[in-house]
Amino acid sequence: MGPEGSSITSSSGSSSSCSAAARAPDHHHHHQIDQLLAGAGYSVRSSQLHQVAHRLECLENVMVHNQNIPTHLPLQYHLANDVVHYNPSDLSSWVDNLLSELHQLQPGSSASSSGLPPCAGNYESTGWSPSEFHAPPPPRNGNGNESENQQPQEVLSHVLHLMDQEDSSIQLVHVLISCAESVQCGNLPLAGSLIADLQALLTRVNTACGIGKVAGYFIDALSRRIFTAVPPGAASFMSCWASEDEILYHHFYEAAPYLKFAHFTANQAILEAFQGHDCVHVVDFNLMQGLQWPALIQALALRPGGPPLLRLTGIGPPSPDGRDSLCVIGLRLAGLARSVNVKFAFRGVAASRLEDVKPWMLEAAPNEAVAVNSILQLHKLLGPDQVHGSSSVEQVLAWIRGLNPKIVTIVEQEASHNQAEFLDRFTEALYYYSTMFDSLEACSNRADNVLAEIYMQKEICNIVCCEDSARVERHEPLAKWKARLKGAGFKPLYLGSNAFKQASMLLTLFSAEGYCIEESEGCLTLGWHSRPLIAASAWQPASD
Amino acid sequence: MARSNEVDLTDSKRVVPLNTWILISKFKLSYKLLRRSDGTFDRHLAEFLDRKVPPNANPVDGVYSFDVIIDRGIGLLSRVYRPAEEGEGLPTLAELEKPITSDIVPVIIFFHGGSFAHSSADSSIYDTLCRRLVGVCKAVVVSVNYRLAPENRYPCAYEDGWTAVKWVSSRKWLQSKKDSKVHIFLCGDSSGGNIVHNVALRAIESDIEVLGNILLNPLFGGEKRTESEVRLDGKYFVTIQDRDWYWRAYLPEGADRDHPACNPFGPNGISLEGVKFPKSLVVVAGLDLLQDWQLAYANGLVKAGQEVKLIYLEQATIGFYFLPNNDHFHVVMDGISNFVSSNRQIV
Repeated sequence: MGPEGSSITSSSGSSSSCSAAARAPDHHHHHQIDQLLAGAGYSVRSSQLHQVAHRLECLENVMVHNQNIPTHLPLQYHLANDVVHYNPSDLSSWVDNLLSELHQLQPGSSASSSGLPPCAGNYESTGWSPSEFHAPPPPRNGNGNESENQQPQEVLSHVLHLMDQEDSSIQLVHVLISCAESVQCGNLPLAGSLIADLQALLTRVNTACGIGKVAGYFIDALSRRIFTAVPPGAASFMSCWASEDEILYHHFYEAAPYLKFAHFTANQAILEAFQGHDCVHVVDFNLMQGLQWPALIQALALRPGGPPLLRLTGIGPPSPDGRDSLCVIGLRLAGLARSVNVKFAFRGVAASRLEDVKPWMLEAAPNEAVAVNSILQLHKLLGPDQVHGSSSVEQVLAWIRGLNPKIVTIVEQEASHNQAEFLDRFTEALYYYSTMFDSLEACSNRADNVLAEIYMQKEICNIVCCEDSARVERHEPLAKWKARLKGAGFKPLYLGSNAFKQASMLLTLFSAEGYCIEESEGCLTLGWHSRPLIAASAWQPASD
Repeated sequence: MARSNEVDLTDSKRVVPLNTWILISKFKLSYKLLRRSDGTFDRHLAEFLDRKVPPNANPVDGVYSFDVIIDRGIGLLSRVYRPAEEGEGLPTLAELEKPITSDIVPVIIFFHGGSFAHSSADSSIYDTLCRRLVGVCKAVVVSVNYRLAPENRYPCAYEDGWTAVKWVSSRKWLQSKKDSKVHIFLCGDSSGGNIVHNVALRAIESDIEVLGNILLNPLFGGEKRTESEVRLDGKYFVTIQDRDWYWRAYLPEGADRDHPACNPFGPNGISLEGVKFPKSLVVVAGLDLLQDWQLAYANGLVKAGQEVKLIYLEQATIGFYFLPNNDHFHVVMDGISNFVSSNRQIV
């Protein structure tokens, strides 16, 4: 009986099969129970696996943390003896049951009463240390166990409540992304059931602020995409009345500094470019309510050496009700110009799409210094339409170049919402608009906020629900615009330090802490907590 | 986003599929609720939380099962799993124990895991595993519902195991047709693996032959803290602390972990040199903190001149064999199948 016959087999298994199988194994039916767990006696829906795993993690965290709490009633004891365990096969509710039991250790545990910090962003308070629990020895009364563990349980419940909020919020994001993923794969039944899960999750988070609020809008947009038989055209998101769009725009203008930043920065650059010119012509790609121009008119009025002759060509959508809204605004601006002695002429160009504008409509004169101003418009040209083999944006940039402008001021959302894959766009948008909404909350004017949010909601809907030519909110980051403009024969015009100072001053005058201006290669970006959200740059034709 | 006072579960999540992670984490957490710091065990809650299945005489996927009382005195039950024949429907009561018709059919006596304190023969996860073994090994499986600690300490589990071996050995209907003998294998995971070794020891002095031992992540230990215990403590579902609790619950009061039941090749172990000990198949998971003890066990057998086949699965954690969603599962099932088929003859 020698040692022959002993053998050693080593197998490293395959971690790739583990990670590949880390997703829910069965996507076929949204009610599908994980078959393997069912064989082990547990009923968990495949779509809920991540959620259950996360809740288990939370439960473990609480149980581990509790070991440090010097109560005389250990948490384990409570969970084992005082908690009613319902159907243990339903893993999801079993874990939730335990977690909510711990939550209810604190009487009256709601967000307002426990004085929790606002859920938008700050979770540092969950980092409590055991030293906080030098609880006084429990009072030795014979009856009434409730008062005995008040202090440590208060903090425990505080932690749990934050964890609950926090983990519901995290789940919300995960499930949102899973839903977008299933939309991308074309698995609409699964996507639909995830919408139901999302709506349930929404009830567990604070939807008045933070991720809860933004998530609501994204869930809404996804629902529209999933449950509408016919893909929506861009028109279905446009208001019936042009005036509604104007109202929303105005409130967005007031609620946050983004549009003001855009206008100030562009105006400063235009002002500097117009130095020494007596005839100047501004072409505005989206007149809206002409909010940008009073400031420029006044600055030109105060110019040393006197104001130039100012022509303004305002492009905007045709008014559905027959009145010439462009003209109305033009008249208003003319009135202002007259009052500060600036010779002013206005022309309105009605076009529903920028692509439809032809340079001859602008009547640029040869002796004028032309400034082309595009605030949040160029990205709309990035759709799939092509005319005579070139894309809309190439055509428009070409005729801008053909005008030989003194300056082209461009402001665009600093985001990548035009990626090829839906999921990528969706995820980007989720984070972008979360940040936008966060920044809005910091500003105090509630009335403006509601409508400003609706303004953003329309952008969200367009990004999430529309495709092809209907999807116009095709935001691209500054780096891409730089490349595109260079390719179209433009070179950068550095925004000077004046612009930077103006922008910084603007922030101190109008807005809350958290906004930040950054300058890079002559371009300015405005962001919230180091995430840039809007970028301004200026250009001039490159010499041939 | 790991904060310093949070449990870091990222290691375990990276190496097992999500549903496995959920299953094992669930066990980990509920077991924590059941172990009391004073060494007692919440048996009532344990029984409530354990997912159990009844036996099923109706063949399901070619396997049917029924429970038998092996020892009325201590209430020792076992569940027998048999392969159904083609086209066979529900067997009558008499047919449950009908004799084996094949030349050789291995009978695997199975000891479930649970660190001596948890689970039963009718636990869902073990019922599923035993059914698989029937198919994989073309065997009859007898799963022993041994008494659990801390209510029943050493040597109860071994005695129950031995009782089961004697019972199986004496069943005429389990004899292989070729030689009218019962071809016995012992198989167990975790504490069941430990029971396999200790029951096989008892068989040495008897005339009952055990053809092979199959140990899946067997429970062994010792007073010394090994490198793998320290390195993997808490990382893959298991902590040294909970292992210590279970030894304190099983071993005799006052004994330490160098008791031979726990540490068979330790300072108090008995030598197996020159002893007719069954061939062993030892499966060790590379992420099990007990692997140093398990490898020492295998080495101990080799040094004593015994035949050992070792399957070492680098990336496996405990419990990988509960769900067939990973490669280790298939490697091990194949290993067990080969081991049984190569050793099923009585030489």
